[in-house]
Amino acid sequence: MGVGYVGRRLLSAVFVLWLAASLAFFALKLTPGDPAEALLAASGATPEEVAERRAQLGLDDPLWLQYVRYLTDLARGDLGQSWLHGRPVGRMVLEQLGPTVELAVAATGVGMALGIGLGTLAAVRRRTWVDTAATAVAVVGLSTPTYWSGLLAILFFSLHLRWFPATGEGGLRHLVLPAAVLGFALAGSIARLVRARVAEVLGSPFVLAARARGLPGRHVLFVHVLKAAAGPALAVTALQFGFLLGGAVVTETVFARRGLGRLAVEAILWRDLPVVRGVVLVGALAYVGVNLLADLLHAWLDPRLREGAS
Amino acid sequence: MRRVLLLGIIVFLLLAGCAPRPGGRIVYGLTLAPSGIDPHVNASSELGIPLTSVYDTLIYQDPETGEFVSGLAERWEVSDDGTVYTFYLKKGVKFHDGTPFNAEAVRFNLERITSPDLASQKARFMLGPYERTEVVDEYTVRIVLSEPFAPLLDSLSQVYLAMASPTAVEKWGDEYQLHQVGTGPFVFVEYVPGDHLLLRRNPDYSWGPPVYQHKTAQLDEVEFRFFTDPATRSPALETGEADVMGEIPPQDVARLEASPDFRVEAVALPGASLMMFMNTGRAPLDDIRVRQALLYGTDRAAIVSTIFKDTSPVAYGPLTAVTFGYDPTVQQYYPHDPERAAALLDEAGWVDTDGDGIRDRDGEPLVLDMVLMSWGYMPEIGQLLAAQWADLGVGVESRVVSYPEALEIAGNGGHHLIPFTLSGSDPDILRKFFHSQAFFNWSKVEDAELDGWLEEGARVSDKDQRVELYSQVQHRVMEEALVVPIRDYVNLNGVSERVQGLRFDGRGWFPWLIDVTLAER
Repeated sequence: MGVGYVGRRLLSAVFVLWLAASLAFFALKLTPGDPAEALLAASGATPEEVAERRAQLGLDDPLWLQYVRYLTDLARGDLGQSWLHGRPVGRMVLEQLGPTVELAVAATGVGMALGIGLGTLAAVRRRTWVDTAATAVAVVGLSTPTYWSGLLAILFFSLHLRWFPATGEGGLRHLVLPAAVLGFALAGSIARLVRARVAEVLGSPFVLAARARGLPGRHVLFVHVLKAAAGPALAVTALQFGFLLGGAVVTETVFARRGLGRLAVEAILWRDLPVVRGVVLVGALAYVGVNLLADLLHAWLDPRLREGAS
Repeated sequence: MRRVLLLGIIVFLLLAGCAPRPGGRIVYGLTLAPSGIDPHVNASSELGIPLTSVYDTLIYQDPETGEFVSGLAERWEVSDDGTVYTFYLKKGVKFHDGTPFNAEAVRFNLERITSPDLASQKARFMLGPYERTEVVDEYTVRIVLSEPFAPLLDSLSQVYLAMASPTAVEKWGDEYQLHQVGTGPFVFVEYVPGDHLLLRRNPDYSWGPPVYQHKTAQLDEVEFRFFTDPATRSPALETGEADVMGEIPPQDVARLEASPDFRVEAVALPGASLMMFMNTGRAPLDDIRVRQALLYGTDRAAIVSTIFKDTSPVAYGPLTAVTFGYDPTVQQYYPHDPERAAALLDEAGWVDTDGDGIRDRDGEPLVLDMVLMSWGYMPEIGQLLAAQWADLGVGVESRVVSYPEALEIAGNGGHHLIPFTLSGSDPDILRKFFHSQAFFNWSKVEDAELDGWLEEGARVSDKDQRVELYSQVQHRVMEEALVVPIRDYVNLNGVSERVQGLRFDGRGWFPWLIDVTLAER
């Protein structure tokens, strides 16, 4: 892992961020609806007053000027001010980042534990009922929408058993249900990948060789097979983690948690462009960061990648 | 005799056991996502639910009589030409941060609201033709308008024009909404956007309006939390995570009512009813017979019972029945009469010639473009209307869009039908829908007489004269068949039985938390 490798990765990260920022900027410009009108129509403002606000927001300027202004502000670290809230976007995003990361990390933990467990179990007991059952659980997790599993979890674990609070934040107990629901959904995709990879590794020559050397089965499984299978699981998880940062909105809504997803949805509905751009950028930043980390970890786990890179 | 005595003792014990006691805390469920909550800047109705108790307004409206009563202003005078309002302020009032309340504070607040830099989304426009504020002496202040504006008193009684501490506003700048300071019965402790908002009792409060029953708040604390998913609102109430919950889904009402631990307080909101606007500027709805046919062909009672489980009244006109100026004679219009509807369509030349179940004329099928937004049960209503009108041989193609997109489509007249509603305590709200220049003139009506009545209604302050003007407006709207009124908005609050004394202001949205007590159990 030479300096060149890391440098290249960093450069490409900056490029991805610029791309995300620009995409967010132009995609939002294409969505129909006038932000100034959305903000003021119901208030009884006159068309002239709405036009004034539009000019004030800079929406009358040519697109290229708006884009340049946006990029220069961004380069200075200024994400602008929310049109809807009237507060600095940077601070708004930071406020929502904590709970989002908390949920994403917890859900990832649940998803990895469950996914790797199920996948390994299915691979080791391939073509038995254990395999079928584990695969079935994974498919259910993959295909159940979280608004439904979330509601079900609330009805059973909160309303019926009263084990966990149904909604809100405040410590580990509040985190259990949303993390389990989201993690369960995540586990499905991880399990399928792990199952395939473990099955492949189990049949590979180096495992056969290890077995032939008389190493105990458990040792082979944990030290050789799982280490080899961890890479792809990590890559999938890193990808999913990016989605979790912005895409946990349904889970956030069901469990009445705050988070970036909810902030983004509200901002999109109101055409609060500075906030949407801010969330996209922070999401992209986290995505790039986590994937960078995952790649480095992956390279460390798998010597072939390391050599290929340096 | 002994039995009676025993019964008496039991009743006494029960009553004593439920007697309200001062102190305690409740969790109050709000239903919107973390929007901005500065009442001078932001426009959401939800912000007023907590903030009505943090702030005081210059005047209040008595929901029983509709009369305006003293608030931070002890009394007031309006000049004969209706352009100068003079307020005589209460003395000895202090903001929660110790800043004294006086005429200068009023001027500071109104200047803040009207400053273009603040980019107010609602408060600014509630002041209408506001020109300036003059400080006459320490406790006398004058608001000067450029022309008469009848809804001003109503506006000044709303939390959007509440009085904030000038010291706090200057100190916190664009983060003021996280550190709000008023003069009200509760102190704003903290707001974590999207998570919770905490209020604590203001022990020094003694200047409340006559509509408050207590001198100071009875509860120690009120915590507000946000429940955007309608499906989790009742469960949150049932698990005890909230004591009061706004906007309970109608289908949960029966379940909550059946439980001894909960009740549902339904508050009818003044304002515009939920109505389906018919675009008179786009064929075939430019033909009044077609519009009338849609009205006669609509079974509103079925919609209200299917979707709203009969929790809200059927609407007959553009104003809800609890709004000042509502004219009950609009109920005469358009009873459900499919035969009459069919006859009107026949008369207009729309007949099903090809037997496909859809009427047509000159080879054109009678299919209407319905634009819906995803909230307020609009998609469900659209679906039922489409089914009812299908029986008439009228086809509906519907699409669900976001609010800004709806504004654009309907603004350009690219729709046949679009539903909308707004709440508001003054009938001037009709000007937002039926004035030819209005944003929500989604019926695309251009009627000089209607414009005149609406403008006059905003200018004159004589109540009888206003009632007369708005009666004319309501009749014209229905005679011209500009809208299909569906239902009056009713805010369904799920309330734990331990919460007592919950009352709402004249807008139906904002609770007077000062009087809320907890029952001893």
